[in-house]
This record gives sequence, C-alpha cells and structure tokens, in this order.
Amino acid sequence: MTISLEIVRDQWRPGETLEGTVSWELPGAPKSVEVRLGWETRGKGTRDTKIVETVRFDAPARSDRKPFRIAVPGAPYSFSGKLVSLVWSLEATAEPGGESEPIRLTISPTGGELLLHGK
Amino acid sequence: MIARENPFRTDRVLAVRYRLPGGPGALLDRFEAMGRRGALVGPQGSGKTTLLEDLAPALRARGHRVRRVELDAEPAFFDAATYPRFVESLDPDTVVLLDSAEKLGWLRWRAFERATRGAGGLMITAHRHGLLPALAECRTTPALLHELVRELVGAEADRLPLARLYQRHRGNLREALRALYDLYAARATISG
Repeated sequence: MTISLEIVRDQWRPGETLEGTVSWELPGAPKSVEVRLGWETRGKGTRDTKIVETVRFDAPARSDRKPFRIAVPGAPYSFSGKLVSLVWSLEATAEPGGESEPIRLTISPTGGELLLHGK
Repeated sequence: MIARENPFRTDRVLAVRYRLPGGPGALLDRFEAMGRRGALVGPQGSGKTTLLEDLAPALRARGHRVRRVELDAEPAFFDAATYPRFVESLDPDTVVLLDSAEKLGWLRWRAFERATRGAGGLMITAHRHGLLPALAECRTTPALLHELVRELVGAEADRLPLARLYQRHRGNLREALRALYDLYAARATISG
C-alpha cells in the first residue's frame, strides 16, 4: 500500500491542497481504505495524536488506485521545543489489510517547523 | 536537541519491550499451573506494566479473551453503573489483567479479587508481595539499563554515565531513561 503526492515536498502552508494518489494491492478486498492527515506529539511526556482530515473509499477492489485531495488545515502548526514536537503525517490504511508508510509533513505559515527555543 | 530528534522520547522508549528470556511461553505455563492467578511483582520502573502488556497477545494466542483494567484510564471503573457490568461480563475464557493492584486499597482489592474468581484468570502487577502468589519478580540491573540504552543509541551507550544514573534513580529504569532525555536535550543545546 503506497501513498504519493503530486507535488513532492515536505513543507506546506495552511490553505494549500495536498493532491495525491493512494494505491494498494491486497490479498483480499478490504472493507474500506482511508487516507488520513493527522498530527502527533513526540517528546518526553504522554503522546497526543489527532486525525484531522480523512478521505474514505468504501468497498474498494482488492487492487486499485485512487486520487485524493485534502486541504491543509490552519492549525496546529508544526513545532519543536526541548520537551515536545508536533509532527504532521499523511498515511493510508486498509481495513483489514494494512497501512502505508507515513509521509511526514511540516505545516506552518512559514513553511518551516517553528522552533520554540534558540540554538 | 529538539524533542522529535531525542532518542529517549516517549515513543522510542515505549518501543523497547521487556526482556523475557525464552519468550512468554514458560511464564504462561507457570501461570496456568498456578490456576491462572498470579502477580508480577517488582519496584517502580522495573518493567511490570511492560511485561503485562507483552503477555496480553500471548494469552490471546492461547485462546483466552483478555480484559485489561487500567485504573488511570478508567476513572469511572468502580462506579455503580460500570463495575457490575464488568463483573457480569467475566467468564471462564476471560483473563483479567490489572495494573498497579495496590492502587485499589485493601478493601476494594479484596472485593475485586473475589469478584474475579468467576473469570478465567487474574494477573496483576504490584510493588509488593501478598496480594496474589508471585508469578514473576521484575528486577533491574545496571547491565539491563545499559542493554536498553544501547538499543536506543547504539554504541554511544558506552559513553553515558549509566551506572551513576542507575544508582541515582535506585534502579528505576523509567526514571533513568527520563533523565537521559533531559541529558540529551541539554547537551545539544550546549553544542548548538
């Protein structure tokens, strides 16, 4: 199961559109395939995670290829400090069946990760 | 060093699993022989919860249903509406896994222990002996800390003050790994 973006870059701004394709070839037909855009925190404490946008394909074929479009959300921005980072990911999952390797994205008005402390 | 690059960040530390020589088979055989009621006993940060988590899929593979009771995640567990439903749901195929049994207090523990006799088993973690017969003792050593850290940072583990950290945190590996997180965060700040 693979997911790819038409524009291959990892830095995105709110309001832009992620356009891409998800393709899969599974042992059996899944109940559904979803493309998910979400964020997670990484760092010292408890992890937090949220799926912000989902594109769902119901009753898909065992093997197929589908385009998707997702508007880049306005928040939260990608950031890093010493204690916590917020990391965005785009991934595809099939239920049951599998999941793609996630694509890591940076989302912010500057296009870059916001750093919460100086070097 | 920013958080997402820290080798001791939570998601990486949680990926390090309990070192159980020979896998879970022998331990679960012992659990069966004990009538499927036993405790994983050890001090804080010795891996009891990790071991309990790792045994869940092994129990399922043996045909048991597993019901994990996480008191921190289920604050309403003992409410009048919730607890009776839990007790009613227990059957001889269900093994109950209870983390940090001493959090119940003695009276509630006694009631819980009795209520779960209708289940197919009860496995708990506890800091001290006396609640259920000991299924396994979880203990740490400086060598174990070194092994875990080596899994996270490779040969760099040999250059870290692990023996001192182990001693400072009295064998609590969770706290030692948290201290290493801070060490890495600070170090990178100094070096730029």
